[in-house]
Amino acid sequence: MPEENVNKQAQAGQNPKDEEPRIGVYVCNCGGNIGDVVKCDMVAQTLGKLPNVTVAHSNMFMCSDPGQKMIADDIKEKGINRVVIGACSIFLHEQTFRRTLERAGLNPYLYYHVGLREQVSWVHHGTPKEATEKSIRMMAAGIAKARNMKPLEPVRLPAHRHALVIGGGVAGLRSALDLARRGLQVTLVEKSHYLGGRMAQWERVFPTNEEARPLLKRLIDQVLAEPNITIHTGAQVAGAKGYVGNYTVTIRQQPRGVRGTFPNEQGVMDVCPIKQRCEFNYGLSTRKAIYRPYKECVPEGLVIDWEHCTKCGECVQVAPEGMINLEEEAHEFTVEVGAVVLATGFQPYEPFYGEMGWKEYPEVITLPQLHRLLDDEGPSDGKFYWNGHPVRNVALIHCVGSRQVEGVHRAQMDGEVNNYCSRVCCTASLSMASLIRQKAPDAKIYEIYEDIRAYGRWHEDYYTRASKNNVTFLRYYAEEIPEVRRADEKAENPLLVKVRDHLTWGEEIEIPVDLVVLSVGMMPNPVQDLMEIFKVTPGSDRFLLEVHPKLRPVETAVNGVVLAGTAQGPMNIQESCAAASAAAAKVSALIEQAKVELEPYVAHVDPDQCQGSGECVKVCPQEEAIELKTFSENGRTFQRAVVTPANCNGCGVCVSVCPNRALDVQGWRLDEYEAMVEAIAADIPAWEGAA
Amino acid sequence: MPTEHIKVDALVVGGGIAGMQTALDLGDQGYQVALVERQSSIGGKMIDLSKVFPTLDCCSCITTPKMSATAHHDNINLLTYSEIESINRNGNGFTVQVTKKPRYVREDDCTGCRSCELVCPLEVSEDEHEFGRTSHRIVYVPFSTAVPQKAVVDIDNCIFCGKCIQACPSDAIDFTQQPEPVEIETRSIVLATGFETTPIDAKKEYGAGKLRNVISGMMMERLLAPTGPYGRVLRPSDGKMPASIAYVQCAGSRDQTLGVTYCSRVCCMYAIKQAMLLSGALPLAEITIYYMDIRTFGKGYEQFYQNAKAMGVEFLKGKVARITEDADQNPIVRVELIDEFGKTRVTERQHDLVVLSVGLLPGGNPQAKFGVPVGEDGFIQVPDYNVFPAVTSQPGIFVTGTALGPMDIVDSIMMAGAAASATASYLESSNGSGKEAQSQPERSVEYA
Amino acid sequence: MTTTMEAKKKRTEMLVEMRKEHRDTVQKAQELLKAQQSTRKVLERALTGGPHSVPQLAQAVNMPAHEVLWHVAGMKKYGIVAEAGTDESGDYYLYRLTKEAA
Ligand SMILES: Cc1cc2nc3c(=O)[nH]c(=O)nc-3n(C[C@H](O)[C@H](O)[C@H](O)COP(=O)(O)OP(=O)(O)OC[C@H]3O[C@@H](n4cnc5c(N)ncnc54)[C@H](O)[C@@H]3O)c2cc1C
Ligand SMILES: Cc1cc2nc3c(=O)[nH]c(=O)nc-3n(C[C@H](O)[C@H](O)[C@H](O)COP(=O)(O)OP(=O)(O)OC[C@H]3O[C@@H](n4cnc5c(N)ncnc54)[C@H](O)[C@@H]3O)c2cc1C
Ligand code: SF4
Ligand code: SF4
Repeated sequence: MPEENVNKQAQAGQNPKDEEPRIGVYVCNCGGNIGDVVKCDMVAQTLGKLPNVTVAHSNMFMCSDPGQKMIADDIKEKGINRVVIGACSIFLHEQTFRRTLERAGLNPYLYYHVGLREQVSWVHHGTPKEATEKSIRMMAAGIAKARNMKPLEPVRLPAHRHALVIGGGVAGLRSALDLARRGLQVTLVEKSHYLGGRMAQWERVFPTNEEARPLLKRLIDQVLAEPNITIHTGAQVAGAKGYVGNYTVTIRQQPRGVRGTFPNEQGVMDVCPIKQRCEFNYGLSTRKAIYRPYKECVPEGLVIDWEHCTKCGECVQVAPEGMINLEEEAHEFTVEVGAVVLATGFQPYEPFYGEMGWKEYPEVITLPQLHRLLDDEGPSDGKFYWNGHPVRNVALIHCVGSRQVEGVHRAQMDGEVNNYCSRVCCTASLSMASLIRQKAPDAKIYEIYEDIRAYGRWHEDYYTRASKNNVTFLRYYAEEIPEVRRADEKAENPLLVKVRDHLTWGEEIEIPVDLVVLSVGMMPNPVQDLMEIFKVTPGSDRFLLEVHPKLRPVETAVNGVVLAGTAQGPMNIQESCAAASAAAAKVSALIEQAKVELEPYVAHVDPDQCQGSGECVKVCPQEEAIELKTFSENGRTFQRAVVTPANCNGCGVCVSVCPNRALDVQGWRLDEYEAMVEAIAADIPAWEGAA
Repeated sequence: MPTEHIKVDALVVGGGIAGMQTALDLGDQGYQVALVERQSSIGGKMIDLSKVFPTLDCCSCITTPKMSATAHHDNINLLTYSEIESINRNGNGFTVQVTKKPRYVREDDCTGCRSCELVCPLEVSEDEHEFGRTSHRIVYVPFSTAVPQKAVVDIDNCIFCGKCIQACPSDAIDFTQQPEPVEIETRSIVLATGFETTPIDAKKEYGAGKLRNVISGMMMERLLAPTGPYGRVLRPSDGKMPASIAYVQCAGSRDQTLGVTYCSRVCCMYAIKQAMLLSGALPLAEITIYYMDIRTFGKGYEQFYQNAKAMGVEFLKGKVARITEDADQNPIVRVELIDEFGKTRVTERQHDLVVLSVGLLPGGNPQAKFGVPVGEDGFIQVPDYNVFPAVTSQPGIFVTGTALGPMDIVDSIMMAGAAASATASYLESSNGSGKEAQSQPERSVEYA
Repeated sequence: MTTTMEAKKKRTEMLVEMRKEHRDTVQKAQELLKAQQSTRKVLERALTGGPHSVPQLAQAVNMPAHEVLWHVAGMKKYGIVAEAGTDESGDYYLYRLTKEAA
């Protein structure tokens, strides 16, 4: 407080310690977002007449530097000690204004935010007068609260300088590497038995045309070389307790069944009698129940598929002594971490039976399968053959499982269609078209698309190259899905694709082909369990949801839980890596100092009022947030409720059951609520334009 | 003039959204940062925008708090109106010579009250922010949310009448100010030098900048911004509220003849965004978008596109061959249309206003000054684009935002985090001569 | 007070010095100022007769409409004119002199 102000109060006969509220009221036009509907200057003028309101201003942008300076100056020069701001959503700028107060030397919690945009201007377009009146009422309530507000301190707690990364795809690996290099401990948990995620399955990657696996291997090698990273494959999170800075996470790890590598691994696999669909090749080949996911995978040892292994023991017979243990059990352990990175990635869209011939005709495959097919290390050694015949005509159909239209496409289980673009499939298809051209110079290649979205750096080159390479482009509209059907038995090519092409006269064209490739889009990996454990939510597209795409693009609504890569939405590798690094930067800023701050909005017990009824403990939904403790004072022993702020989420259930009104949620006390309710119901001062 | 010395862990060049966010992400991790911006305010192109896709937040609401946070951050030293002169490698770090250009206003004294601006007698065209469509006085605060909120004198148009000196309550005007040298010693550099848009006169077929009612997408941003030149959408030839507005997509991108073969990545989305904002600002206006492919690939973008269609924005697939004008300066668009039934026909359509969805070109000439290689497209080239997109081939030099290629704000902010992480990793490593990792490593890899 | 007198004298000397140093640009700027002031005066005079749209002003002062618009935008920015509704067609805004300017 500036000296001058304290003097003024002293002159006014007030106790400077228990200072009278001097409220600053600020109404933001939000560059027209609010001001076009609400008469902001009228709101300010009217509120200026209320008791304790020392200043009331309206401004174009309160959050701008000049706007913030106005508040800071009022605090310093006019002795403002409470601030009420009517502006956009509190989610956007609470932090901004808290910092303003702090810089000006005022406790940051002596500020109340009224949402005039979402709650007034955006919902009361056509009724400016009523909107203005509602704004006045809402802000009057805020002022009433402000009169009763008390300074608060955040809950400060030590934090583990240790992060948990869930998912060992390229995003998870990249996050882990950045965190470790920043000097933090990292635990990386990968569900499958190898690192690298989907990227390992691609033949090559756009836009650089690099071979995917060597590129991935270089990253994995760097991760392995980091002493701060501990990796658990075949592992999943089973549960977690705690809060930002202090999570205890339980991890459940499936046994590998095989210890390290040994010379006659092929022989061991050969003797295994069980044949299974090979997931790595998207079912284009089979593998045994003891297998290696792919040739250069890391970790490089074999692994047992427990679901299908019959424990016949054939493999144990031929393997070196002690290398295979069919009795190995899953085990659980815990790690203490300060923050969590969700990098659980995506899965390719799985078409419905019969969707453009999927599963109906064996000649219909997906783009991921095409990658495996064309891969020199794939099931056909990279030869562009299908059913033993060279493929001469191939059609790639875009947007399968993406950009869907309600009423046209079949919905997923949750009743929603995938109305988003999957971002990578266009360029991935074009890249494959080039590869096909290399492998089959005379093949007829058709790209059947809606829009070609070769948006990124060097992506357009793939489009140009494809055109030069005699790839035929046909354009369809989402409302008229191309049809795939069986050709006459005598026909040269087994399938026909019927499409109304909007590049040439809107004609219905039927193309005979040997192979149809569905450019399937992305869906998030199913992580319902993790969403429940960490209390994060998905968006309407089912991918994990960020707080705000621009202000906090990798953070979730849960402090300490951040997103990396395609778990958040479709991205290519470069974007996944950038997002993963951004996530690492956020985590570093959060726990690098080994301490965290939590909001002070937690239950508070008034020791003079508490009679130890224990009602609160019974109703509290949180674990270890409130408990009865025995105290003794002056020879008297009694019980009293005690709150552990870190575990309390401020829901206030305890407040409602306390028979003695001994409980309150700090920052949201009952007397504050009461004052607000009264102010809302009270007559508002007359204002110009009210009539 | 004694040289001011600044010693930091990281120097960020460019104060657009990417540079600001990188500085914040590094500052928040405890690193000392200097941010050098050549313009008189930070904010970059973003501060000139109206509302931003896909959330339609008012742009100031997102940018200005970041500008403010950057300016007030304890770990960030902000130098605006400053030019990098030279960079020399110095052991593991760099010595960078910077010149603070004279504002002819003492920054420490100016309060941004604009008293000077109000008495200044002369106005000239506002080039930097309004593309000459409006004016600023000779002494002026660049815009109402500028950071720092300090006046600057356009000395080449000054008549030295001295009115501003008299009007300034804090005696901040100083015509004798000279360029000030600043030496920055830094361990690392992040290039956030951003982009420029395709010049409006780039394409002869589109009127070579001579048609008054053919404007750029950036200009339309200004028309739509509440702080814009007219405060509303009026066409430049005569102030008419346009009743029919057309967008020409890929104007300057995906165009062999201009040597710009790449897609600029943001113009489809900004055109759709503007179309939506226009239907709000001018409810009766008809809006047409001529396009080749609509590229709404980002999170929530396709839904945004579908909403625009549902709102009645007309999307016509076709290549605009030429734009001319009639006697009333109404632009006439000659387009080869592919209509709903796939029929191709060449038609001419008259509109009140045409917006060229101009593309993104590299800005700031980073190659010359910083010795980092650029690709054929002119944007900075990095050795491992997929996995280490922020790491350039020059040890200790990093890149972020549109300096790496066209990208929107969401992607620029992601890249900023990536650049901050890459820089932090480098600073902690031995060739960044960083401190040892604070904690002793435990046993690392544990398969099983 | 002698100090302010002195300061004033010093300021005037400095301004003279500056004008000499920037001779070329000052001359150009002065010409610009003269032209601008006369244009503004003409526009203001036209507006004393009541609100005008840009094309109306252009006709009244015989100047290209886009130039009028530029001036009107500047005058609006600095509080000399303000909007006064639209014309009959609804296509153009009308501008009037503000109280301060009038
Ligand atoms: C057909 C196709 C071709 C493509 N081609 C290219 C290309 O050429 N260039 C390019 O840049 N991009 C390409 N992409 C995109 C690229 O594959 C992705 O950007 C990248 O793989 C995303 O990495 P990620 O780490 O986010 O996800 P993923 O690769 O999916 O990795 C996620 C990891 O998390 C693990 N996981 C999931 N759930 C859990 C759990 N609960 N617990 C623990 N671990 C879990 C998974 O097992 C997996 O290992 C292509 C995509 C497709 C579909
Ligand atoms: C018309 C239009 C509308 C758009 N609308 C949207 C939208 O709605 N949503 C969205 O997400 N994106 C939008 N964008 C894209 C968005 O503008 C960019 O993604 C973003 O501004 C990029 O920020 P940046 O920091 O990389 O570059 P810039 O904003 O260009 O910043 C670079 C900064 O560096 C400075 N600089 C350059 N060289 C030097 C040097 N040598 N020394 C010192 N300083 C230097 C420049 O002065 C500048 O301030 C739009 C783009 C355009 C053209
Ligand atoms: S990237 Fe292309 S194929 Fe994939 S969903 Fe988007 S438009 Fe369709
Ligand atoms: S984003 Fe759209 S308008 Fe811009 S260059 Fe790409 S395709 Fe053309």
